Amino acid sequence: MAQADNTAELEKSLAERILVLDGAMGTTIRTYDLDEAAARGERFAKNEKDVLNNGDILSLTQPDVIGDIHKCFYEAGSDICETNTFSATGIAQSEFFVEDPREKGGRKDPEFFQKILEDDFLNELAWEMNVEGSKLARKMADDVGSDTGVKRYVAGAIGPLTVSLSNSPDAEDAAFRVVTFDQVLEAYRMQVRGLIEGGCDILMIETIFDSLNAKAAAVAVQEVFDEDGVKLPVIISAAVGLGGETMISAQKVEALWNAFAHVKPLAIGLNCSLGPDLMKPFLAELSEIAETFVSAYPNAGLPNPLAPTGFDLEPSHMKDFMRNFAEDGLINFAGGCCGNTPEHIRAIAEGVRGVTPRRLPK
Amino acid sequence: MKSIKPALRLSGTDAYNHDDVKGFLMIGERTNVAGSPRFAKLVRAGDLEEAVEVARQQVANGANVIDICFDDGLIDGKAMMCRYLDLLQGEPDVAKVPIMVDSSKWEILEEGLKHLQGKGIVNSISLKEGEELFKNNAKHIMKYGAAVVVMAFDEKGQAATYDEKISICERAYKILVDEVGFNPNDIIFDPNILTVATGIEEHNNYALDFINATRWIKENLPGAKVSGGVSNISFSFRGNNKVREAMHSAFLYHATKAGMDMGIVNAGMLEVYDEIPKDLLKCVEDVLLNKREDSTERLLDLAESYKGVGGKKLAEDLSWREEAVEKRLEYALLKGIDRFIDEDTEEARQKYGRPLKVIEGPLMDGMGVVGDLFGAGKMFLPQVVKSARVMKKAVAWLFPYMEAEKAENLEGDIAAILEKNPAMSRDDALKLAERGNSAGRFLIATVKGDVHDIGKNIVGVVLSCNGFEVTDMGVMVSCDKILDRATEMGSDVIGLSGLITPSLDEMVHVAKEMERRGFTVPLLIGGATTSAAHTAIKIAEHYSGPVVHVLDASRSVPVTTSLLSKDGREGFVKELLEKQQKARENFLGGPKKETLTIEQAREAAPKFDWESYTAPVPSFTGTKTVESEIGDLVDYIDWTPFFHAWELRGVWDREKKILKTKNEAGAAEAKKLHDEALEYLEKLVGENRLQARGIYGFFPAKSDGDDITVFNDDGSERTKFHTIRQQLKKTSGKPNVALSDWVSPINNDYIGGFVVGIHGADEYAKELDAANDPYGAIMVKAIADRLAEAFTEKLHHQARIDWSYEAEGELTKAALIHEKYQGIRPAPGYPSQPDHTEKPILFELLGATDATGVSLTESCAMHPGAAVCGLYFSHPESHYFALSELQKDQVEDYAKRKGMTLTEAEKWLGPWLGYATT
Repeated sequence: MAQADNTAELEKSLAERILVLDGAMGTTIRTYDLDEAAARGERFAKNEKDVLNNGDILSLTQPDVIGDIHKCFYEAGSDICETNTFSATGIAQSEFFVEDPREKGGRKDPEFFQKILEDDFLNELAWEMNVEGSKLARKMADDVGSDTGVKRYVAGAIGPLTVSLSNSPDAEDAAFRVVTFDQVLEAYRMQVRGLIEGGCDILMIETIFDSLNAKAAAVAVQEVFDEDGVKLPVIISAAVGLGGETMISAQKVEALWNAFAHVKPLAIGLNCSLGPDLMKPFLAELSEIAETFVSAYPNAGLPNPLAPTGFDLEPSHMKDFMRNFAEDGLINFAGGCCGNTPEHIRAIAEGVRGVTPRRLPK
Repeated sequence: MKSIKPALRLSGTDAYNHDDVKGFLMIGERTNVAGSPRFAKLVRAGDLEEAVEVARQQVANGANVIDICFDDGLIDGKAMMCRYLDLLQGEPDVAKVPIMVDSSKWEILEEGLKHLQGKGIVNSISLKEGEELFKNNAKHIMKYGAAVVVMAFDEKGQAATYDEKISICERAYKILVDEVGFNPNDIIFDPNILTVATGIEEHNNYALDFINATRWIKENLPGAKVSGGVSNISFSFRGNNKVREAMHSAFLYHATKAGMDMGIVNAGMLEVYDEIPKDLLKCVEDVLLNKREDSTERLLDLAESYKGVGGKKLAEDLSWREEAVEKRLEYALLKGIDRFIDEDTEEARQKYGRPLKVIEGPLMDGMGVVGDLFGAGKMFLPQVVKSARVMKKAVAWLFPYMEAEKAENLEGDIAAILEKNPAMSRDDALKLAERGNSAGRFLIATVKGDVHDIGKNIVGVVLSCNGFEVTDMGVMVSCDKILDRATEMGSDVIGLSGLITPSLDEMVHVAKEMERRGFTVPLLIGGATTSAAHTAIKIAEHYSGPVVHVLDASRSVPVTTSLLSKDGREGFVKELLEKQQKARENFLGGPKKETLTIEQAREAAPKFDWESYTAPVPSFTGTKTVESEIGDLVDYIDWTPFFHAWELRGVWDREKKILKTKNEAGAAEAKKLHDEALEYLEKLVGENRLQARGIYGFFPAKSDGDDITVFNDDGSERTKFHTIRQQLKKTSGKPNVALSDWVSPINNDYIGGFVVGIHGADEYAKELDAANDPYGAIMVKAIADRLAEAFTEKLHHQARIDWSYEAEGELTKAALIHEKYQGIRPAPGYPSQPDHTEKPILFELLGATDATGVSLTESCAMHPGAAVCGLYFSHPESHYFALSELQKDQVEDYAKRKGMTLTEAEKWLGPWLGYATT
């Protein structure tokens, strides 16, 4: 069931304090040491491909683990947790359930993805992942909210897909795209509906490395709002490279803001890709120009395969960085992406507590 | 509080904000089939490459936005809009500007919106077909986030006069702002620039009507912008560029003064207002501002004299063409310009003699610069891809020359192959020769468990562009499938991609499998979580072929080229191995020393003449339990380590009772501590808080390789100790020792063992802690530790006497402390035998736990903490030594001897290992 529009309530809180987002779902799942059999459960026991790294499927096969992660983050101080639905679209799920035609010399193209979009199994799976994913977070938000007396929110996570609308994988044809805008739009429309159905409060288009993919998501959100008579706050968050560009489509942050301001998002921000130090200049730029709230949830540093957690920064480091962002008046939302555990979030929450949030430019 | 000014905010990959202060916004018209006959021709002929070049030129000439229109009867406008915009996205210099999607057909505009990542402009909508459609289209545009051009049209048609223009614009504005909710800053009115000087009287005021309407709009419709198609104004003077340019400039001069924000212009063809010849300017302005009845005729007359005078041509900056050919190639790669690539490549080919030298030389150097800039965040992925596409052209130019070279060499190659393999058929030799000559087959896949595709695709494209034959197996590909396909296609390089942490393990697995299956081709590793260090430390050691980490797509080319280059490979691999070796050393700490295999180390063991050796015989075999008065141990205490426990460095002089240290304050502190310790000792002895219990014994033993077998008195085998041999190569000529070396392998020899413990200290310390005396607690524990060592020394003294090779009183206590005696008492867990799991064997042999109350925890730590155990060796050559850099061959052998798994052995020996475990 669709939640009421909490925008006014959120804006009120945002005027008073920095709201805390959650940490990473993917890298936190890995700390539960699940194995392939656990990820499959009975339901997908016979699936041909491995699904252990299909984090979203765990909402269906290991709901307790996912619920527990949400709970840990809420208890660590997250005001908002993202649903476990980063890849809950038929397009993204197809990677785990449909043979890659390239294995046999074929290719992925719009014809291939049209079949994916018409695949009942994948559609039902994606729908269920979104609805259940949203419900799992909803329950924990409500439980921890009522236990602590601090209202918690659920943000429906809308990830970037494994395909790009801006990049051609064909050396012979720079105009070739594996998938069309309409196909991506359709996949996102279903995801948005499912997330709303499961009871999320916010829709979060995140880890944007291709702004055109994200634009399809933004159109999907607006279409579903219009058609279903629903309205929820939206957060837009990009993953930028060393030059502050969306990694695949190379759009710089101000260009990104210009391209998404029409959505009137509750917040725009940056996440993933860079650690906090490298992200800061681009966050500062965004903070300067965005006529809305600004969010930041960087990775716990750059990936380091030799570090025990895969990332360099520890909770205390993240705390210091996020506090510094807060004190510089750059942010309204603080959280963590890859490599950030509930301990990191606890530290971040502590770091930004009591710091005056960034004021909206007029 | 910061304030943000209202503006028309547009974007491509860069932002472009237009406000009232910013100058005129130039919209390039050359990518409009109506604005450029040449463009129309190129598109109709399907020469999109050149058509893209037109867009580039527009931006280079200063267009802030480019207008793209395919409204032409011979072009499928919707399909072309899709294709062209997708092509432009791969053209970073164009993709940076906002795009104006231009069509009279809604479906083409709709299609255009689906291909703009930035905020563009839709050109145009109007009230021509009624309010309903107008509103719906506006809503749709709003959803995609674009600005909109509204033509001054309504149900009755085009607004020509001033009154018509302003009333339609006002009506449209109200609908958009009040009903649709459109951002007024995103509304751009086009109040129709209509052609003047047509000879029809009603047309004479068109320019002025536009200018006045513009002024009205800017004054009355807040936020709205005004634009127009400027070249329309001069349509009567087709073919007379000089006059047209003058008209455009003069018109813009007046219209911008009235507030016109932007216009569709040929950015490279605008005359500067002040440079228009005065007579021409006068006539033009008379026409535009409708100053005289006869202004049209006068301009027509004057125009005759300008006919055939070339219009302004904006000179392109081609200064880079004057550089050396290498620099030109680099520039072309950096900027993604392929216009001159054929001629430059040819020039380089002639200069370098062989086509391959051009690729491995200047082209690869250029790609190297691209890689550097990308690594520094100064270039982005689409630019890297674009550079690769330019590279593709260069390689294509060289291709026929390379083919010809191959054909020339083929016979020679076949002959060489046949000479080496006389049994081979000519056909097979031909195939082999051809294989050897192919540019390189590259197999790439994202490993099992990982779905990340896009980065790997980019690597594939970049490599393809460089002439490699790339097979992309997609994502989630199992190791077997990858390796089967690699074998089947005869892949020259295998590239693995992965973005999530678990993929790292899968990459290790593939490396191991490649080794097992006998592959020798290079393995490339890439993806966000991979790193050069991880590749060196965790992956490379499992595969004997080169394993190379590739930082990003731009680096894949030089790496692959070097690996497949006949001349370059050896040097590249050598450098790679050195770098990886260094990475491993840094990871493991310090430079790696040269080591021996375990066989070599055993050969370098000390050689004794055991035949003529007589081992000392102990006065008893079996064990003796000993208890000692604490007071009797005090003289045996070595105080130096006691001060170390208090962070005081130096050596304790037992005669002078001072700590010899350069730190005077430290010496004074030590003196104080020592006095306190003696007080505590006195108290401990007086209150009888501590008990010293120990056991020691002797057993018949023989060495058996690196093991020591212990026998019962009846000669039956009782147990076995396992020892470990030094594996560092010694340049001093000293032997590589193991503890077993000091037990005779043939004669009757003996080994001893002991366990001592000081009981009561832990309990006492706990009491002191509880009584808020943490200092006292530490003191007691430190003293107990010293007492355990002292007891050990005392016991060892006794043991040597019992062993009949040292006489009572032969050595002073000082000499004892300085271990100036024969024989050693190494403890498991210490440098000579770091494996703690030898302790249970010793405890069991002695029955130590029952006798002394000292027990072992699961991790083989002793309880109480103040306890010592060890083996006794009597051999005169026996000495303490340290182990390090243990190699896998010995650890495997050791694990086997102990009946452990390799993993278990590695776990216990972790810090002493000289290799990385997985």
